[in-house]
Amino acid sequence: MKNRLLLLFLFSGFCLSAQEQIKLDDLNDFKEQAGNWSIVGGVLIDRTIDVHDILEIKPEKKSKKRKRKKKNTIIIPKAIAPIPGTGVLLNINNSVKNDAIETVWEHGDIKLELEVILPKGSNSGIYLQGRYELQLKDSWGVENPKISDMGGIHNNWETTADKIFKGVSPSSNASKAPGLWQKIRIHFQAPKFNSAGEKITNAKFVSVFLNDVQIHSNVELPHYTGGPISKQEVAKGPLVIQGNHGPVAFKNISYQLLEDSKISISNLAYKTYKGQFKGLKDLNKQKIVSEGTSKQIDIHLTKEEDAYGIIFSGTLNIPKEDTYTFTVGYTGGVDLQIDGESLILYNSAEDERKRNQSIKLSSGSHLFTLKNIKTAPWRAPKLGLFIESNSTNSKKFHAYSSYPPSLGYVSPIFVTVGAKPNLLRGFVQFKGNKTKLSHTIGVGIPGGINFVYDLNSANIIGVWRGNFIDATPMWHNRGDGSFTPRGALQWTFLNQPTAELLTTNNAFPETGEKPEFISKGYSLGKNGLPTFKHIYKGVTIENTISPDKSNRFLGHEIRFSKTGLINWYHKLASGKIEKTSDGAYAINDRDYYIKVTSGQIPTIREINGTKELILAVDGSTITYEIIW
Amino acid sequence: MKSTIHTTSKRIATTLSIALFCLLETLQAQNVPNENDYYRITTIPTPEGILVEGGGLVSLPNGNIAICTRRGDVWIVENPTMANNTKSTFKKFATGLHEPLGLLYHDGALYTAQRGELTKLIDTDGDQIADEYQTIYSWPLSSHYHEYSYGPVLAPDNSFFITTNVAFGNEEWWRGESRVPWRGWTLKITEDGQMEPWATGMRSPAGYGLVDDELFYTDNQGDWIGTGALWHLPKGAFTGHPAGLKWTGHKDSPLKLTEKEFYSKIDIRREKKNGRILKPENIQNEENPDFFYKMKENFPQFQLPAVILPHGILGISNSEVKVDKTAGKFGPFSGQLLIGDMGQSKIVRVVLEKVKGQYQGVAFDFRSGFQSGVMRMDFDQNGNLFIGETNRGWGSAGVTHSGLQYLTWTGKTPFEMKTVKAMPDGFEIEFTMPVDKSTAENLDSYTGKSYIYKYHAAYGSPQTNIEEIKLKGVKVSDDGLKVRVVTNSLRQFYVHEITLQGVKAKETGNPILHPTLFYTLNNIPDGIKLKQSELSTKRTKVKKKIIKKRKAKKGAKKKITVLSDAQIQPLLLNNTCVACHSKDKRIVGPSFKEIAKRGYSNERMVELIYNPQPKNWPEYATPMAPMPQVPKNEALKIAAWINSLK
Repeated sequence: MKNRLLLLFLFSGFCLSAQEQIKLDDLNDFKEQAGNWSIVGGVLIDRTIDVHDILEIKPEKKSKKRKRKKKNTIIIPKAIAPIPGTGVLLNINNSVKNDAIETVWEHGDIKLELEVILPKGSNSGIYLQGRYELQLKDSWGVENPKISDMGGIHNNWETTADKIFKGVSPSSNASKAPGLWQKIRIHFQAPKFNSAGEKITNAKFVSVFLNDVQIHSNVELPHYTGGPISKQEVAKGPLVIQGNHGPVAFKNISYQLLEDSKISISNLAYKTYKGQFKGLKDLNKQKIVSEGTSKQIDIHLTKEEDAYGIIFSGTLNIPKEDTYTFTVGYTGGVDLQIDGESLILYNSAEDERKRNQSIKLSSGSHLFTLKNIKTAPWRAPKLGLFIESNSTNSKKFHAYSSYPPSLGYVSPIFVTVGAKPNLLRGFVQFKGNKTKLSHTIGVGIPGGINFVYDLNSANIIGVWRGNFIDATPMWHNRGDGSFTPRGALQWTFLNQPTAELLTTNNAFPETGEKPEFISKGYSLGKNGLPTFKHIYKGVTIENTISPDKSNRFLGHEIRFSKTGLINWYHKLASGKIEKTSDGAYAINDRDYYIKVTSGQIPTIREINGTKELILAVDGSTITYEIIW
Repeated sequence: MKSTIHTTSKRIATTLSIALFCLLETLQAQNVPNENDYYRITTIPTPEGILVEGGGLVSLPNGNIAICTRRGDVWIVENPTMANNTKSTFKKFATGLHEPLGLLYHDGALYTAQRGELTKLIDTDGDQIADEYQTIYSWPLSSHYHEYSYGPVLAPDNSFFITTNVAFGNEEWWRGESRVPWRGWTLKITEDGQMEPWATGMRSPAGYGLVDDELFYTDNQGDWIGTGALWHLPKGAFTGHPAGLKWTGHKDSPLKLTEKEFYSKIDIRREKKNGRILKPENIQNEENPDFFYKMKENFPQFQLPAVILPHGILGISNSEVKVDKTAGKFGPFSGQLLIGDMGQSKIVRVVLEKVKGQYQGVAFDFRSGFQSGVMRMDFDQNGNLFIGETNRGWGSAGVTHSGLQYLTWTGKTPFEMKTVKAMPDGFEIEFTMPVDKSTAENLDSYTGKSYIYKYHAAYGSPQTNIEEIKLKGVKVSDDGLKVRVVTNSLRQFYVHEITLQGVKAKETGNPILHPTLFYTLNNIPDGIKLKQSELSTKRTKVKKKIIKKRKAKKGAKKKITVLSDAQIQPLLLNNTCVACHSKDKRIVGPSFKEIAKRGYSNERMVELIYNPQPKNWPEYATPMAPMPQVPKNEALKIAAWINSLK
């Protein structure tokens, strides 16, 4: 039977297209500070050393007063060290130098993206407008994050009832291990004021994503949070980063300032038609049923449920030259023309879609026409128009009932983990790839660690912490056989990782193939954790994957039924590989760590232009940790 | 004390009212016997939060039932018949499976087909929870949603049969595709993981079963499959859907027929217009349509369906095949086949016979009214038929999405056609009890037609080449248990549908509970034909008058008078509309009231009956099949009635 039901899972994220980049070649974007902030090329972080573990370097000249002595001591945390160069903004504070850093520019509504890295035990914060703090902290392994954890919106310290703000904790802990780069995306709306200077709208975090997991959605900020640069809420303020609570570094900082759109439509007139229209051209010959003017686009002006046509025309007033994105949501068929040219055209009478198109427009007046027909009794009348640009918020030009928000959302079917591990097989999209893997199983472990194992290649393809999976795509209606992990996914790689290679210049197989590779399934231990089994070239291989005692990372043990294997290798990781001081390997520019704990020494090889971390396999047991 | 008395009196009152109710029900039943009088459905309450979308069901030797669900769990139901007034209990035996669609108990373990593999579930420590999920054999998937896998069926040599669905195209979303090896196939797999491709031609082979140690399976109507049917599946067979032919070049393939050879004889129906491929539709009044039996002349590997289950009448999505081996515990149909249906939430009954070395046979309606789609069935030792139910997002007559029920014979024998055998000159119908001779010898007690389904790339097929079956006469056996119906209208390969609307039971005077037989005549047996002198050709005397009346009406009728709900019922039934539609309720298709809202003219609605536009109803998963067999005057009456519901 055919599949015509498409589930719409709306991704409520955002993308920065044209945007400002803080280059981090110098500190020109920032005001002067004590010197604890500097531009570097990178950072070396030992993930095992706490930031409070410090080296004291005493000054050569002894001070006379004991009190001052401590102040003058230079303190260096052992955990972090700079790599010379540019591109990274680093804070290493001490008792003397511990300023916050503040942009020279100010912002109101803003979309901000950056990457941040924290050593163990460190703590900082991003203050939007210098007043509303999103907490940065090493919160690795925290099961129930608080307002003071990574991604928390901090409270303030006010005591009078109308000033108190208790803060908002992130909806899940999507943070990574210390010493790894973490991605943050913020969409912030500044408070709005009337002409008398009275606040009419609160500041708001429209959305905050940590490592691609949404942790805040439309959080209002009735007051400033703790430690603002000023207690006066304003329309614009600088971006401020806290510098007195520990080392922190940033890279890839980009932002887009946004303001409310000043576009308007004037002289909006409409004509309605009636008939079994099949295409937009059918409107040409028709006689007008009604006409008039309207303040906004409203499909209900046709007074028909179906078999109607309508043409809106008017003047589009563009405040300044820019690229504008027009979005038309409709049922039926549609033709949006600007200055007589079709911008969005879909010649149908039965379609239902939201289409958008961008166009560069000069400032001033532009002619605007919007035609819509519908001959599709199974679809409700809908017509809506939104216009936005890179520097403006989206503005709607239709009546609410003409295009009511419809998310096409279904009640989600979440699979959770109870007292025992929970397993579920389903198709999985690796890194969101279009192609789904077919023989994959999700394993959720009490304590919050989850992973996906590919039975076709005997490989851990992804790990995450927090909520287990969403099986709505598989179990709603007919379903598509797949589930999606819920959480900050740390994907690894696609390969059959344990393989015999003719030479070390041969690549690992993409996936296991019969008859060399035969999956044998898995057995559950007393703790409910699976041991996966497969046979490769006559050798039985068992894979046991389990979390450490503190539920922070995963250990992977691989056992072989034979020893004395020659030309066998195990692939641990691929991508950029950096050996760290504790013996672990940081993968892909500090995305996650791999640490071998069974004594074998991994080597790094390059194959097809990509580095691989591999182990020679002789049949003795391999254990390693995936830390993220 | 007071409260006790109160409770007791209440209880007495309740008992009395129940007794009265039962009495009333019995009285009513005596008037109009219905299915419920003979086969009773019991719903097993499932714990809240457990969704029993029953993909597999098996009765265990200890009387428990094991059921596997779409949600990937295997539940063991203890005391499933709620015997001794105690409740059933549910215990989760296994979890995390990938939409399993079959369950088998063998060798102390449960076997199930997940989407991508055959898995053996073993409880090694006796805690009634599986701790070994052993992969017996895994097969590739392209990860298309429609790639379901069904089974296993235990073969006589203790290996396992698995059937696999096709995927669908991207642009050609209507065309079944075998994107990776062995989709659209039946596979035979041994315990140690050796796989033998067995047969192909499968499209959506949801049903399977072993009959006399031979593998049979059912498929669903769709592209190349004009209607659901039951096929016997010997090794190397090709049953109709060409997708699986892609892999016949493989060294293990028992079938050598290639796609190229296939499409050299049969139109693939891949036409382009404006750069897009057109979805093939049924060609109305097609001059020389392809039929499967005709194509068999080119390709001897073609396996004719043993018994056709006319779409919309005997199901729309056939499922499990189960042989009644209860030796009478389940009633008078021992040894016969029961076949479930998801969309119509019912069970049909099939009796096979071998004629000229090939299976063929008859099908009847058997029991309807299940709460959801009938997917899997198994008998327990007491002859209760357990049913795992789901509609899997396709919609079904039963309104729930899932459930667990069982069917019990009440001990009463229904007046039914027990079996039908093909004869050189017609059919021999055997009844469960003696017929009333006067009604059985009256030719007006019988109406019949024969038809066939097209073999083409379009979705489904209308009944084609419909012809009335004219009876030469009938012969009732002395004991009244058998009737020979004799006709010159037999057509090889066609479905012969005969309704015995006038035949009554000798003792009770009741009509036949399910009065229509559907016989698939793959072969007409040789043998001696009855002589005309042996036949009764009696007809009701008032017959001519009726015809006159009709003629008179016809002349006067220009305007269509809207029929009442009661008057329209027979038309809706005869034309199988009610298989998918009801007046108020969404079933497989929209309710008649919902259709009325569209404001189609009567004429337009008739056009849509003949040539439906499923895209007009995107909310409904199952597309309507073209119904050109509905007579135009009846279609107009139906349309007028639907429009009166506005």
